Amino acid sequence: MTGNHTIPGDDQHGMDCDRCREAMSAALDGESDAAEQARVDAHLDGCAACRAWRRDAETVTRRARTGVAEPGPDLVALVLDAAPGPRARWRGTAARAGLAVVGAVQAVLGLTSLLGASMQHDAMADSIVVLGAGMAHATHESAAWNLALGVAFLAGALWTRHLAGLLPALGAFIAVLAVLSGIDLLAGRVEPARVVSHVVLVVGFVLGIAVVRAAPRSGPAPTPGGRWWARGEGPVAPHGAPAPDAARWERESDVA
Amino acid sequence: MDDARITELALRARDGHRDAAGEFVAATQQQVWRLLVHLADAAVAEELAQETYERALGSLRRYRGEAPARNWLLSIARRVAADHLRRRARRPVSPAEPAEDDRPVGRAPRPDPAESVAVRDALDALDGDRREAFVLTQVVGLSYEEAAAVCGCPIGTIRSRVARARADLVDALSEPPAAERPPRSG
Repeated sequence: MTGNHTIPGDDQHGMDCDRCREAMSAALDGESDAAEQARVDAHLDGCAACRAWRRDAETVTRRARTGVAEPGPDLVALVLDAAPGPRARWRGTAARAGLAVVGAVQAVLGLTSLLGASMQHDAMADSIVVLGAGMAHATHESAAWNLALGVAFLAGALWTRHLAGLLPALGAFIAVLAVLSGIDLLAGRVEPARVVSHVVLVVGFVLGIAVVRAAPRSGPAPTPGGRWWARGEGPVAPHGAPAPDAARWERESDVA
Repeated sequence: MDDARITELALRARDGHRDAAGEFVAATQQQVWRLLVHLADAAVAEELAQETYERALGSLRRYRGEAPARNWLLSIARRVAADHLRRRARRPVSPAEPAEDDRPVGRAPRPDPAESVAVRDALDALDGDRREAFVLTQVVGLSYEEAAAVCGCPIGTIRSRVARARADLVDALSEPPAAERPPRSG
């Protein structure tokens, strides 16, 4: 930074002409570096060519900024058709509302089978035990899973940001369940009405995809990746419990 | 109009608000136009500006508001201009560009004062990277940081390209009696 020795006579001021002109150019754009300015001034004291260049550069800049400012055509009417239509506005909302309804239905189905299983299970002898679970426990497990999916749909409708993460698991579940349901239906091991109730899952899956596609921007989320910050106090030690209303979630992606 | 407002308009446009899309175009089109006039030329700038907005509005659904919408739009305009120049370079050279409408073929769609012609000629003669940096910062009015974001290069690169463009313009535009001028050193 202290001169360019290929240009004798310029480096004694700590800056060669090229560097000086680059710094003057930045200064003309309001992007100057205060530390550099002193060396620029020192160079200018001894360099008439750079003083002339600065005057010329100012003139040229003014001409370039003002001389080419002819207005362009108004394109608003021509290009507006390419913009997302009003459908985009309600598509996401409708999909979320639908997902919430599906979640509620699924949760009710799960609760119903949970209650049904509890009521029957006194009367039912566990004659069949598979992999350590009797019929009653297998039914409980399936009911819990159905209830959980209902809650997951509801949560996904509320916090769209995390919905995408649910979809692969749900897709796998639906695919496996579809195959098994088909086999069980053919073998007469399940009533058609029970299989029809699985359609709720498929509808939820499709709506989930629609919500994810309609809201590419980060939607609301409970932010597991976030850190708990006290307002104005910086990071809080894990054991220091801040008052909930004096703190906020801050995502790393928001900070960056 | 400030960047935050333009970004907000883009996000509302993405969510299907056509009025916001219209405001977004109205608020940005002069800058897009100026950039394209200089990166390509005025004869095709309108067509390219239209293409820019069609690309931008068409891909709004994927815009997440992470970068300011104006920078995002200008980088699309820059790509549109680059694509145009590439297409034109690939075409065999023809003696005159065929005019598809009744607009006279040439640099400017309307009569230009001599001053403007001289400046435009000098800008057009600049090396491509220097012209881009100069136009983004002087004509479009971006800061070095914003121009660097649009071009995808470091701020220092913008700074030195602008300075070199300025030096070239000084050489090209400073008054003709060149013999009287001090020789450029450095």
